[in-house]
Amino acid sequence: MSSRKAWGLLALALALVMALPLGVCAQDKVIKIGAMYPMTGRPGLYGLDSVAAAEMAVAEINAKGGVKGHKLVFINTDSQAKPDLAVQIAKRYISSENVHFIFGEVSSGAGLALTEVSNQYKKIFIGTDHASTQLTSDKLQPYYFRVSNNTFQSMAAGALYLKERQQSKPWATLAYIGPDYAYGHDQWNELKYNLDRFGVKYKVVGEYWPKLAAPDYTAFITAIMKDKPDILVAGLWGGDTVAFIKQALPYGLFQKMLYFSPDGGGNYELMSATGDELPVGLALSGRHHNNWPDTAANKKFVQDFFKKAGRYPSYAAEGAYSGIHAIAQAVEQVGNPSDTEALVKAFEGMKIKLPEDPEGFTSYIDPLTHQIVQVQAIGETVANKDFPPATRMLGNWKVYKAEEIMPPVEYLKDHSSECLKGRLPK
Amino acid sequence: MDLSSLLVQFVSGLSTATLLFLVASGLTLIFGVGGVFNFAHGSFYMLGAYLAYTFVATVKLNFWVGALAAALGAGILGMLAEALILRRIYGRAEEGGFQILLTYSLILIIDDLVKLTWGTEYKSLSRPPGLGGALVMGDLVLPSYNLAIIGVGLLVVVLAWLVLTRTRAGRIARATALDRETLGVLGINVPLTMTVIFGIATALGGLTGALAAPLRSVTPGAGIEVIIDALIVVVLGGMGNFWGAWLAALLLGEVNAVAVAVAPEWASLFSYLVMVVTLIFKPEGLFAPRQVRKV
Repeated sequence: MSSRKAWGLLALALALVMALPLGVCAQDKVIKIGAMYPMTGRPGLYGLDSVAAAEMAVAEINAKGGVKGHKLVFINTDSQAKPDLAVQIAKRYISSENVHFIFGEVSSGAGLALTEVSNQYKKIFIGTDHASTQLTSDKLQPYYFRVSNNTFQSMAAGALYLKERQQSKPWATLAYIGPDYAYGHDQWNELKYNLDRFGVKYKVVGEYWPKLAAPDYTAFITAIMKDKPDILVAGLWGGDTVAFIKQALPYGLFQKMLYFSPDGGGNYELMSATGDELPVGLALSGRHHNNWPDTAANKKFVQDFFKKAGRYPSYAAEGAYSGIHAIAQAVEQVGNPSDTEALVKAFEGMKIKLPEDPEGFTSYIDPLTHQIVQVQAIGETVANKDFPPATRMLGNWKVYKAEEIMPPVEYLKDHSSECLKGRLPK
Repeated sequence: MDLSSLLVQFVSGLSTATLLFLVASGLTLIFGVGGVFNFAHGSFYMLGAYLAYTFVATVKLNFWVGALAAALGAGILGMLAEALILRRIYGRAEEGGFQILLTYSLILIIDDLVKLTWGTEYKSLSRPPGLGGALVMGDLVLPSYNLAIIGVGLLVVVLAWLVLTRTRAGRIARATALDRETLGVLGINVPLTMTVIFGIATALGGLTGALAAPLRSVTPGAGIEVIIDALIVVVLGGMGNFWGAWLAALLLGEVNAVAVAVAPEWASLFSYLVMVVTLIFKPEGLFAPRQVRKV
């Protein structure tokens, strides 16, 4: 080795040693958030939208000087929506990245795996997009909080929608199609539970369970047409909704029954992918809408996202954005991102104004289930060119009160984890 | 179930089967002739769908011209992949394992390239003009575009039969499947033959993707969604058996269509059951030729 090279290496080593304590010092004044989102494959769009919106929130907060002198630091690793991979990443975040919060995930499978890690390491996990009700009932643990609505809330709103519809346009029969995994089955069970709870009379004439990401629905479509339901409830999401609707069009399915998809069926990517082909009059919803509520805060969120990403957001984005703001608000109150137990208290019952809140309502976290309580709106597809490339958006909204659609205590009694059981009223 | 709904389900099955066969045809062709198991075949299907989107929605070509251009594009990319990457591992000991790893890595690479080129937003094409509707006869609804796809499937089968049995190129291809070394001694450019066959196989994949684009959502990862079913078809038909793949696709399409109508809660089980039973009792595939290819 030449002496010059040796000096160079020595200098480098010295610089590293000197940098080390500085790094540790700097870390004392940050709030570090370790996120897991899929960046690839079909759920990749949700992951990319979530990360863009989370970064947007981080930039907003840091531009105002951070939180009590702490800067927010957001890191993300591609989880491919796989539970085992997400667990690996979360453990690395906790053991070597010293994160204060774990964050994210589109897939409920990954969310359920991560909540175990969160409980084991007593590290707060903020769920932003996965919808399985189990996370805030059967599998609730003290360090989990969710800032987007779950399938129970969507399905309770859905049941109220169907109840009202029965009075205006009488219907009697339902068929269901949903992906053959927990998410698909949960939605159907929760819808039936809520229909029964609200005293709606109905008859089920067909239940269909295609595989997730099945490319071809032709056989399902013809079988559903034969059942002739008044309402087709769909638990499909993302590309599956797009494929089903496109394939069902020439069969005239949408003229013969109401297509009803109140949880994930009304996500913006459906409108942007199908354009003019999307029939009007489908009843859909999602976890956030680009054109509802018509408030300054929602418009600002949607336009800021458009400026940053060059496209309008799918609903995953607003969940991630909300999650970052919830963390900032909790740390603002507690003053220390490492005081986990105090932070848990701060999240429980937190009131937080979010883009998806209509005038006169503020979202809050239910201290019992750690689930965010929000207003739900279900809309119909109508012509609307304000959010290109979509030429249809949802409109003719029906709005459901936040408290009406939360799981009642009787439901929670049958679906409670140890942690939740202790808190339920006797 | 009455006769008319059975007929409706049968036609549904036929349309499902045709797309299944078209994906599987390229996969089984390259396996039969070249002995290559191309796990990334679905990615060429996806590339076909994206290329068709560009040619039809952006460049505004006629749909059918755009679909052919997309097939050509997928074929050229396939030939590049074969000539630059896959060719290097031919003849290695344990080649099969290397093939799977190498073509699996191709899936990931192509997925990311697609994401960089087209973004992650879902893309979708409309059906070609004039084929958006359906033929309606009482309860029987036959979407015109699905009928067109069934027609294309038949055309591919007939064309492939003519080329493989009636032309010199077809004879070379069949000979490549049997004995590459002797073929080389006879003065045939075997590496070029392999590249061209790989190109034809990936072009078939690309064509299928283009045809499926108006029916499905075009997203990154779409390749993975079709590869498993295509693989089942290839195995059922007898690995490398072109006609077997056609029959197996028909069988699976129909089993699925009837199962969905009769026992919807178990529908997805049936196609796997058919495969399991086949693998146990006729492991060479339902439609394997009597002479099994010697290694």
